[in-house]
Amino acid sequence: MSLKSERRGIHVDQSDLLCKKGCGFYGNLAWQGFCSKCWREEYQKGRQKQIQEDRELAERLQREEEEAYASSQGAQGTQPSLTFSKFEEKKTNEKTRKVTTVKKFFSSSSRTVPKKENQEAKAPSPSINRQVSIETDRVSKEFIEFLKSYQKAGHDVFKQCKICLEAMQQKREASIEEQSEYVQDFYQNTAEKLQLRWKMPSEKVEDVMDQIEKFIMTRSYKHVFCPETTDDEKKDLAVQRRIRALHWVTFQMLCVPVNEDIPEVSDMVVKAITDIIEMDSKRVPRDKLACITRCSKHIFNAIKITKNEPASADDFLPTLIYIVLKANPPRLQSNIQYITRFCNPSRLMTGEDGYYFTNLCCAMAFIEKLDAQSLNLSQEEFDRYMSGQASPKKQNAENWPPDACLGVKQMYKNLDLLSQLNERQERIVHEARKLEKDLIDWTDGVTKEVQDIVEKYPLDIKPKSQPLAAIDSENVENDKLPPPLQPQVYAG
Amino acid sequence: MAAGAAGASKTYSFKVVLLGEGCVGKTSLVLRYCENKFNDKHLTTLQASFLTKKLNIGGKRVNLAIWDTAGQERFHALGPIYYRDSNGAILVYDITDEDSFQKVKNWVKELRKMLGNEISLCIVGNKIDLDKDRHVSVQETEAYAESVGAKHYHTSAKQNKGIEELFLDLCKRMIESAQADERAKGNGSSQSATARRGVQIIDDEPQAQSSGGCCTSG
Ligand SMILES: Nc1nc2c(ncn2[C@@H]2O[C@H](COP(=O)(O)OP(=O)(O)OP(=O)(O)O)[C@@H](O)[C@H]2O)c(=O)[nH]1
Ligand SMILES: [Mg+2]
Ligand SMILES: [Zn+2]
Repeated sequence: MSLKSERRGIHVDQSDLLCKKGCGFYGNLAWQGFCSKCWREEYQKGRQKQIQEDRELAERLQREEEEAYASSQGAQGTQPSLTFSKFEEKKTNEKTRKVTTVKKFFSSSSRTVPKKENQEAKAPSPSINRQVSIETDRVSKEFIEFLKSYQKAGHDVFKQCKICLEAMQQKREASIEEQSEYVQDFYQNTAEKLQLRWKMPSEKVEDVMDQIEKFIMTRSYKHVFCPETTDDEKKDLAVQRRIRALHWVTFQMLCVPVNEDIPEVSDMVVKAITDIIEMDSKRVPRDKLACITRCSKHIFNAIKITKNEPASADDFLPTLIYIVLKANPPRLQSNIQYITRFCNPSRLMTGEDGYYFTNLCCAMAFIEKLDAQSLNLSQEEFDRYMSGQASPKKQNAENWPPDACLGVKQMYKNLDLLSQLNERQERIVHEARKLEKDLIDWTDGVTKEVQDIVEKYPLDIKPKSQPLAAIDSENVENDKLPPPLQPQVYAG
Repeated sequence: MAAGAAGASKTYSFKVVLLGEGCVGKTSLVLRYCENKFNDKHLTTLQASFLTKKLNIGGKRVNLAIWDTAGQERFHALGPIYYRDSNGAILVYDITDEDSFQKVKNWVKELRKMLGNEISLCIVGNKIDLDKDRHVSVQETEAYAESVGAKHYHTSAKQNKGIEELFLDLCKRMIESAQADERAKGNGSSQSATARRGVQIIDDEPQAQSSGGCCTSG
């Protein structure tokens, strides 16, 4: 069954996720497929110009807005600073103006940032900037719309959020912990204020806090998700590799209480995998959490259908681990860190979402530390699977349930055959190598033997003519001797 | 760590973790408490790993979140990730199973080491309907609980005994310690943002040394 889910092609091709420059880090859609580093290099030049243009646009909008405001309010005159109440008044006038007001609001805040700081800020490319700003504008509009019903409290919240965003911009070069601390303090103080000063009931406070988180984090996401100052990106890559290396882990090893042979169950498993992969595409921590929660609910359904009883933690956690291994969700570490740093803490601490998130943290910790013992395997087995020398997945096609699709059965038979062929081929290559080595050894051996013999019996060639001549001249009796034998010469 | 503030309309949010060996009845206890059901095959509940209960104790509203934890041995190292920021822990053993009480002792040691006295501990001997098979002595367990600053309870999920009392008592204790926290905070300074959200400030917590957490920023 584990094979089944592999075939479904849920896995996103890894190469699609990597930086376009091929530096090995992850790319991000928001950075046009580059990693943060390469992306910054890429847009170094266009940035300066963009900042200038943005500022000019902001100033123009501000002027226009002030003129329009002055003319509509008659003698009241223009206020130097923009306030939420002014905003509210304006909104009732005209629809189109709302948009410019929102823009102006934030551009005016960015103008308060010292010039140097602003230049160092990561400005997105023009096209991306526009695309992102459409979304942030939409979020801002919705936020303002939402706050309107809270009147004075809403006004105050908006003011505080503006201050928070400005401060975040100032802190861009600070450590991520400091930025997180700041946002967390902001959440805490705002929630307390809503309750104490504005006497809001706690359910409403939760509501408002969710909207605040959405507003703040939509705007801050690109600066604080997987920031360069941390090694989140490196860890993402390590986790990704680790999960890939663990591809052989089966649901039996983890004691996962789901039976994927039941179509509804396997359907739930696919949905759970899709949800957890989707998490990376969300910008707001709470939206990311919602993906984890949806994934968890699908897991519970799968367990409930299989076991017909409500899932306990001992059912849930192994299944979640299994889903994470199957899904290999992009940038898992970055997402967990981002949620931990910037999610509204009350949600993480006691809420249902927090429970599922905690289990995801557990799943990742388990995967990082996973060893032979945690899968009830011997160390040798584990090592062999890890090194790819063996695979526990080899399923016998004969053991398949009778209702399994014929084509699938045939495919597995073929796969089996192929792997057998592969084994034999490897054996042949191995033997051939051995033969080659034997031949080389034999040649070397013979050469050495010959050399040894040559050394042992050196070939001495002595001069021939002198002793023979002496015999001939001085010994007369030798005349009676028969003529010396002539050496016989054979051809070839 | 209780969300909320002073005043009549205050709502406390508490996180309680369930710990204990397999089969001691953790799931049964919490299902009995939150759904008043036991071994019911027609349970409409989708899951029993995270359950909530709203209570009103003397005019104080309490949102209780009960976290089941994976009890298998191979998940033991993940404990700190589960129980961080909990206000209370319920440590369950089966009175017919000596070993399960030993496990509880181990958990107590670990929790005290990691969380100090910030957490309200309950030691629960479950399955008292099986008293004839009791293998754990009442005196021993109660003496032990007292020695570690925990409270001891006897329950039966099957017969619905002692469970309401257990949770009610735990909530009262958690409210008390939350109030003590608030007072300390009030006396200290106006800086109210400390001692909250342990999710974030991991570095200065003792559990950082366990290196088991995936969320530590180190
Ligand atoms: N007689 C009796 N049986 C109980 C009681 N509580 C639970 N059981 C039984 O004990 C068994 C285990 O109960 P669970 O609630 O699943 O135990 P658990 O601690 O959640 O176990 P794991 O999820 O495996 O960690 C079940 O068969 C229950 O019916 C009780 O009070 N009395
Ligand atoms: Mg259970
Ligand atoms: Zn790159």
